Amino acid sequence: MRKPIAEVIESGTRSFVAEVYREAEPPAFGAWVRVPGGAAVLYAVVSHVEIGSVEPNRRAVAFGKTPDELRREMPQVLELLRTTFRAQVVAYRPEGGPLRQTLPPQPADIHAFVAPCPADEVKALGAPFDYLRTLVRHPDPSVPVDDLLVALLGQIYTAHGGPHGGEQALLAAGRVLSRLMDDDHERLQSVLRRVVV
Amino acid sequence: MLDLRRLQEQFADFGAYQVREEQRMRSRLEDALAALKDCHPVWEDLRERARTARPGWLVAGLREPPGAAHPASPRPTPVTVVAADGSQIFPDRHVQPTCYLLNISRIAFQYGTLERPIMEAVPDFRYHREEVQEAMDDLEDLLDQQATSEVVSALRDERELEALLDTAQRARVPGRPLVALADGTLIRWMLRRMQNRTLEEKLIERYAALLERFRAECIPLCSYISMPGNTEVVNLLRLFREEDVRPPDPEASLEGLPDRRLFEQVLRPGERSAVFESASHIQRDYAPGSRICYFYVHVPATRTGAAEIGRVEVPHWLAEDPALLDLVHAVVLSECEKGDGYPMILSEAHERAVVRAREKALFYELIERQMNAAGLPFGGSRKAASKRRPML
Repeated sequence: MRKPIAEVIESGTRSFVAEVYREAEPPAFGAWVRVPGGAAVLYAVVSHVEIGSVEPNRRAVAFGKTPDELRREMPQVLELLRTTFRAQVVAYRPEGGPLRQTLPPQPADIHAFVAPCPADEVKALGAPFDYLRTLVRHPDPSVPVDDLLVALLGQIYTAHGGPHGGEQALLAAGRVLSRLMDDDHERLQSVLRRVVV
Repeated sequence: MLDLRRLQEQFADFGAYQVREEQRMRSRLEDALAALKDCHPVWEDLRERARTARPGWLVAGLREPPGAAHPASPRPTPVTVVAADGSQIFPDRHVQPTCYLLNISRIAFQYGTLERPIMEAVPDFRYHREEVQEAMDDLEDLLDQQATSEVVSALRDERELEALLDTAQRARVPGRPLVALADGTLIRWMLRRMQNRTLEEKLIERYAALLERFRAECIPLCSYISMPGNTEVVNLLRLFREEDVRPPDPEASLEGLPDRRLFEQVLRPGERSAVFESASHIQRDYAPGSRICYFYVHVPATRTGAAEIGRVEVPHWLAEDPALLDLVHAVVLSECEKGDGYPMILSEAHERAVVRAREKALFYELIERQMNAAGLPFGGSRKAASKRRPML
């Protein structure tokens, strides 16, 4: 299994916030992540990535220095920054059971490790794409859901082989979206148009 | 609750009074500058007078002409700078059980390199009845000593210096210059207030021993004081004017003029003053090599603030070494430039060490939980409780 990149610091059944380890690469917006827990593995879509101060009462200010100058002369500045992301939990796999495209019975544990999903697991999160319903019908109000869908469809395409089979998966997901958007073709078109394939 | 209307009435004369005071200060300043100029040719005689006179005020000891000014040399790169700071939750008379907390930060920056900094703070929770005495090791005669605020402050100062020494040893890289920067004065004036001679002497002795370890390890130690209120150099000029022999009319005396006002006129941006020797009696127990010397430095104005005269204290052994003085001077200036007028690393050390009101509340909450879990009552005084919940 892939190395953890982050750790859960706030958790609910619907979403969690994780802090990215200093040496790790932050996940992309729309990427799939997995959180192994006691009874189940949780699958979630990264819906918001943020860089900010570790300490709530200290704000970043402009210093007019390059990142290299900052590292050499003001080493505390970069040390006090951290990347966090919020991920929306949309599926889980109970120990020894099948994958379920719905919210888990329990939230991820605080301090649980978060790792990126390998391609075969993203592939398993395919038809009937029930989680798209969760994302579209109950979007996180602070996230533009269509942009999240654009990023997510890109992931689905790549995991299913890109030019070698990815189109089929994309079409299947597109059909689900079409129904969810009540045949709002304008909206659907704007999502599909932006998927980088 | 502050009645602003009533306060406003009291402000009526405030501005006018301050203008008058400033005028008085300015005339003193002119006299002081004249005395500084006049004493230059005979500064060696003045040095002797300062050594022997007992005027009843603290007088700066001289090592060079008091009006000397030295430009800063460039700060070396790479260079290691370390700092430490501390804060505490004092024992609260209104909270039972008695306990207190020290929180000591340690910072080490390897400037000019990409090496990871050290930035940490270590809490130290003390609650044993014997703990204060334990901290005093062999003070059997002080078994009843209460953990007063003074003792806690003194212990914190000691821990800070210990942490500074330890961090310097940890961060030291062979062949790379290093400066250990402390916050505030290295002269333990505040111990005077303790009203317990034995304890005072013990604490000073231990502090002096720590200072000696910096010397033994050759770790350049200095401390920085922003807006210093000291008057020892002005007192030296009073001695030159023989104010001790013929006390002048209070209006004509230089008394009350702080050294920093004098050096605002003497030093150009970035320059440091002559090095002076502190005559404070509190350091009679310091080893001669660790007695405290100091200089003033003109910290230039920044984008957001005016220029300031800061005071830098160093042990005697460091003052004897011009290269180390230059290093300390350059590091302090560079720190102030990066920290917008105050040493950046000291701000960082403070940020790490400080215990905020919210955290203090959490600390007491944790104690309460522990007491409850142990089936014991947690007693705050009724007064403390009433302050928390004012009634309407």
